[in-house]
Amino acid sequence: MSEDIVILMIGVSTFLGVLGLLGLIWAVRTGQFDDQSKFIDAVHHDNEEDLRDAVMMAEKRKNYKNKKMRQEKQNYMPPD
Amino acid sequence: MAELACTHCNLTFSEEVMIKEDDDSTSLYFCCKGCQGVYHLLNAEGLGTFYDKLGDTKLQPASQSHVSIDDLEKFDLEGFKNKYIKAHDDDLHEINLIIEGIHCSACVWLNEKVLHKLDGILEATINYTNNKAKIIWDPDTVKLSHIIQTIRSIGYNAYPYDPALQEERAKQTQKTYYTRILVAIFGSMNIMWLAVAHYAGYFSGIEHSFKNILNVAEFLLATPVLFYSGWIFFKGAYYGYKNNIVNMDTLVASGALSAYIYSIYAMVTQHGEVYFDSVVMIITFVLVGKYLEVLSKKHAVDTLDSIMGSTPTEVTTLKDGIKSLVSVENIIVGDIIELKPGEKVVIDGIVASGAALFDESSLTGESEPLYKQQDDIILSGSICLDSLIHYKAHKDVSSSLLTSIVNLLEVSMTKKPKIEQLANKISGYFSTIILLIALLTFTGWYFFAGSFEQALIIGISVIVIACPCALGLATPMATLVGISIAAKRGILFKEATFLETMAKSDVLFLDKTGTITEGKPSVIHAKINEDFDVSLLFALVTTSNHPVSKGIAQYLQETYKNIKTINLSNIKTIEAKGITATYNKSTIIGGNASFMYDNHIEMLSTCENTLFFFAIDNVIVARFELTDTIRPSAKKAIKFIQNMGIKVVMLTGDHEQSAHKVAAQVGITHIHSKLLPQDKANIIDEYHKKGHITVMVGDGVNDVVALALSDIAIAMGNGADMAIDISDVVLLDEKPESLYEAYELSRRTYRAVKENLGFSLLYNVIAVPLAILGFVNPLVAALSMSLSSLVVVGNSMRIKSLKFKDKNE
Repeated sequence: MSEDIVILMIGVSTFLGVLGLLGLIWAVRTGQFDDQSKFIDAVHHDNEEDLRDAVMMAEKRKNYKNKKMRQEKQNYMPPD
Repeated sequence: MAELACTHCNLTFSEEVMIKEDDDSTSLYFCCKGCQGVYHLLNAEGLGTFYDKLGDTKLQPASQSHVSIDDLEKFDLEGFKNKYIKAHDDDLHEINLIIEGIHCSACVWLNEKVLHKLDGILEATINYTNNKAKIIWDPDTVKLSHIIQTIRSIGYNAYPYDPALQEERAKQTQKTYYTRILVAIFGSMNIMWLAVAHYAGYFSGIEHSFKNILNVAEFLLATPVLFYSGWIFFKGAYYGYKNNIVNMDTLVASGALSAYIYSIYAMVTQHGEVYFDSVVMIITFVLVGKYLEVLSKKHAVDTLDSIMGSTPTEVTTLKDGIKSLVSVENIIVGDIIELKPGEKVVIDGIVASGAALFDESSLTGESEPLYKQQDDIILSGSICLDSLIHYKAHKDVSSSLLTSIVNLLEVSMTKKPKIEQLANKISGYFSTIILLIALLTFTGWYFFAGSFEQALIIGISVIVIACPCALGLATPMATLVGISIAAKRGILFKEATFLETMAKSDVLFLDKTGTITEGKPSVIHAKINEDFDVSLLFALVTTSNHPVSKGIAQYLQETYKNIKTINLSNIKTIEAKGITATYNKSTIIGGNASFMYDNHIEMLSTCENTLFFFAIDNVIVARFELTDTIRPSAKKAIKFIQNMGIKVVMLTGDHEQSAHKVAAQVGITHIHSKLLPQDKANIIDEYHKKGHITVMVGDGVNDVVALALSDIAIAMGNGADMAIDISDVVLLDEKPESLYEAYELSRRTYRAVKENLGFSLLYNVIAVPLAILGFVNPLVAALSMSLSSLVVVGNSMRIKSLKFKDKNE
């Protein structure tokens, strides 16, 4: 066995491990593990209805932003 | 009579009391109008799948009572807004709520779903574990009162809390710790399998080129662990240095850092062994221990939020006959405040007109409601039970009892006196001495042998061999065994160090109600004068929630088997006296002696216990004596504890007479009675000042401040949630002898800790000189280290043979 192979094996496996670790840390930081009970039970309720719900909420946010923009445009007065 | 489950809440009731409704082909049954309303609302909204998700989980029946308009108004008031609502930059509002009535994940789903459907809500997330919700909405589209009303309309309730209090901070620390631990665990696990190859190579021979690869890989993995995960130890060591204290952090930081530097040196010069695995192991283990402490702190914060959240922010005041809602901060002494039944008092005052029953259990721990009339003092934190009264504020909100308790609690939670732990103390001296010895060794070798390189290696090897294993394991190993034995006996120690603190304590404070006694009145003597239908009495007492009624109901259930359900009519509860009702044209009366006099019934009523009489058509047919019974074996357990040389003191909010009676029965001579929550804390503080280490045992919210302040807080398993959260030890089976066992066990564990520390110090006394003389080669170091660890583990296992005194003696 040559040194290169050992380096490759250690390197690749550690790199993959680091990817997993970063994913896990990202999940922790964005609060995905804040609620153990919900996290576990969510499996029961996971269906496309939830997806539609998520889309609806995203839509709502977008609409709100548009509304704000329109309001700002209306209130906008060009400097004389 | 068939028992049927309510279609909405799944609670079972007999068919005849339920509301029946025919829907197409099936019949629906509801236990109340509330449930019926919610069911139809959900179906109309297309949320019927809630019931599939719910399964067999039982809900609280949807109550209609808290849907009152004037209550909702307060959510749109300016004062409320300033206190709880956070305005975002883009004009959105955010609030944190605690949702009441969540039983299962389907409830969470339903609430989120309903809120999502509401116009103007942009985000709604509910945490199932602690029932806290975060809601972001557009105030131009929807009002907060409407959001709250929506939550109430589906049978839940919501009240706000102030997350700025402490939660955000606690959550943030928890997350950073978690990330650091993840990195540390990742690093140490990977280094471990590299180290296996390394050690194998040490015995069977390994080419230098391969060894270098392993060294570099270990170096790459150890670096983030040491500097990222171990950062808090460097910080702790730095603060220690600034305050001239050598602490555990100094030892960990200097040990890990010197092993790291030495390993780099060994790696670069290809001379000697690397110790990257020791570096990561030290950091990982100590870090996990620290994380557990952070976790328990967050729990306490959660509970604090829920008491503050349930207190009203506005009260109704009366000025010149005009009622108005005023924010509690604006109330000044002398204002007249109106209090409705069910409301919580936030400001201390004196009753101006009216009379009502008050539940003061959260303050004094006394289970019986108190009757208050004109000129009586009412305390904040108590709850008005039955009538509307007016009272005059005699303090403002910040000096009122409830606020001062919460403030005290916040302070004592962060400032809880931690007595210095033996292991910390020893390792403090130890690390200073080792650092000095290493320095001397280095200078010695440098001057006498003249080689800088050799002197450095030997100097660092002194630190490496002295530092981690046996001393690090000495305490955790013993306490781990101690904790697991305790857990098997129903005693939960939340942290290992509490065993040590408890072993050193010399004063034990006991709360009376609920700790020495059962905390609820039970029948000790029953006299049935004439034959009568027991079911009648049972039906009467079950109409009341008074503890005496409950005590009698329990007694009847235990003594008689065939109790039938009887429907009484004209049920009237007379405050602090008793209950009357009619059944088949005869009047039945149950209550205390003065109630019987009021109804012109003659009887004998001299007794030191609580009396309850039962009369049918003005003839007394039964007489019960009730008392708060002392827990069995309390006397024996207290005697054992006193024999261990511990001073036992009783603290109670109850009056002197009953305090002395109970104390005499269990053999306690030091008694403090008539105490308010903060008085208990003050007494504990006084003992602290005299240099005592204290243990406090309690169960109610009234003990919480004292518990928080005591060195060790012990709660009974059935006590208030607050008390359990804030305590360090929980007695699950509530037996007084568990208290004695906890003492015995902690002392035995402490002895094992001392033995372990003694041994590991002895090991160092032998190993360090060898290292100083330059005799340490890696094989010897590895062997002696694992041997010393084995000795420590073996000695700790001996705790298991501890025998407790026979309880039946």
